[in-house]
Amino acid sequence: MAVIDKLEQIHIGKHGAAPIAAPGWTAKSRDRVKLVDCDVHHNFREASELLPYLPRFYQEHLLDQGLHLPGAGYANTPFRRTRPDLKDPQLQERDFNFSLEFTQKELLDRWGIDFALLTGPPVFYAYAGLPDPDWAAALCTAFNDWTIDKWLGRDARIINAILVAPNDPALAVREIHRLVHREDTVAVMMPMQTPLPFGNRAYHPIWEACAEHDLPVVSHIGGASPGSTPTPVGFPSYYMEARMTRPSVASAQAASLIVEGVFERFPNLKFAMTEVQQMWAVPLMWHMDVDWKAIGDQTPWLKRLPSEYFREHIRIGSQPMHEPPQTEQVYQMLEMLHADETLIFCSDFPHFDWNDPVTVLPRLDERTHRRIFAQNALDMLRISDAMIERACA
Amino acid sequence: MSGIVVGRADEIPAGGRKIVVPFRGRAGIGIFNIGGRFYALRNICPHKRGPLCTGEVAGRGVAQTPPSVGASHIDYERDGQILRCPWHAWQFDIASGQCLVDPTVRVKTYPVLVDGDDLIVVVDISDLSRER
Repeated sequence: MAVIDKLEQIHIGKHGAAPIAAPGWTAKSRDRVKLVDCDVHHNFREASELLPYLPRFYQEHLLDQGLHLPGAGYANTPFRRTRPDLKDPQLQERDFNFSLEFTQKELLDRWGIDFALLTGPPVFYAYAGLPDPDWAAALCTAFNDWTIDKWLGRDARIINAILVAPNDPALAVREIHRLVHREDTVAVMMPMQTPLPFGNRAYHPIWEACAEHDLPVVSHIGGASPGSTPTPVGFPSYYMEARMTRPSVASAQAASLIVEGVFERFPNLKFAMTEVQQMWAVPLMWHMDVDWKAIGDQTPWLKRLPSEYFREHIRIGSQPMHEPPQTEQVYQMLEMLHADETLIFCSDFPHFDWNDPVTVLPRLDERTHRRIFAQNALDMLRISDAMIERACA
Repeated sequence: MSGIVVGRADEIPAGGRKIVVPFRGRAGIGIFNIGGRFYALRNICPHKRGPLCTGEVAGRGVAQTPPSVGASHIDYERDGQILRCPWHAWQFDIASGQCLVDPTVRVKTYPVLVDGDDLIVVVDISDLSRER
């Protein structure tokens, strides 16, 4: 099988979903991968575990003040944040998945996962809202180095999305360049709630660095700015209420990326949005296409229908999956969503609202199944043939 | 085909227009003068049947690349050559009838002749009666 020519894969036509493969990928190798999980939360037990990875000044900062992350008070709080069946009743721990061994036993081996993308603890994503950009960057660097030490290089199935902060985009670029040489760096994680929408030119240097190195952005819900409201209408009172605002966050970010021309500027950039539900993307695509025909001349750098940019560049995590009353509606939903192009399997392990890969969707045709559970992720993540050889050995 | 005298050529100055409803037509035909040349379009937008020829005539912005840090350049082209439907703002090239937001859409155009002082639109009468 010929090596996929990267340049030939860009702009493959109006149907999008063109694989934008890193050099050295072959279709034959990729066919061996059956299941990729793009959202696996790993975590430290105590923030003090980050101390060895912080500069001396910030060690004092952490010892003196703790993480002091901003938070609105409802970030994945129920059930101590984790599936109750995974808990050791002797341990009164608020969060879970503190070890590679636990992930191997409870996720990778149990569910037959070929690649698991580490995405860090969502509560920690509040670094994106820290007022001190250097502290935010130091925490990202420390977390990334802690992950390298404690999680990477021991199981070929574990791949990493390095954390970066939006607070100072130049520092985010520096962190990408610091870790881009690592084979297990296959994506960049930026929390989805940012001070400015993602299409804003302030963030272009970050997207440029990702595009330069064929790294997709995998953006998980979380972050938030200090003092700002997590919704356009103020603070929800309750956690479930707050969860329902996630599609509006994702819609705003997707619209911003498309309308501000990020995908015209960086044609090989892929951008995944995780834990934000899925169906918001359908009316967004439809509405943007109608609007583009009417007022697209106000943003004349957009050469194509917004839905075409969406389908080619944006990927949507499969968790938490809708569960409509009729199974037939799931199929309609997936069709409207162009799920064979846009949907990537995410478990959200080990949280209470996770989806396992077996029951998350009803039976699909082979091609659609393969695209959702493996191929769409492989077309996006920077995974080489050699990595597949080792992971699928 | 029939030639219909729709007015005097000097009635429509450059940049101007006239909408006429010829024999058996309903919505009518818009005649536009762009730089001394006349063009005629059916006054029905192919999108949602709005009164296309009553819309704004202007140009449009063009940008080779999206704006970014310290780099933004938007030109303005085809000033006076683009007609925008007043109902949903779809843009059409007046000279060709081509819709600029959907390559599969085109509004019907008619040849325009100037004979002495007379402005003549060449139409198929049966076609006009199909306008509804």
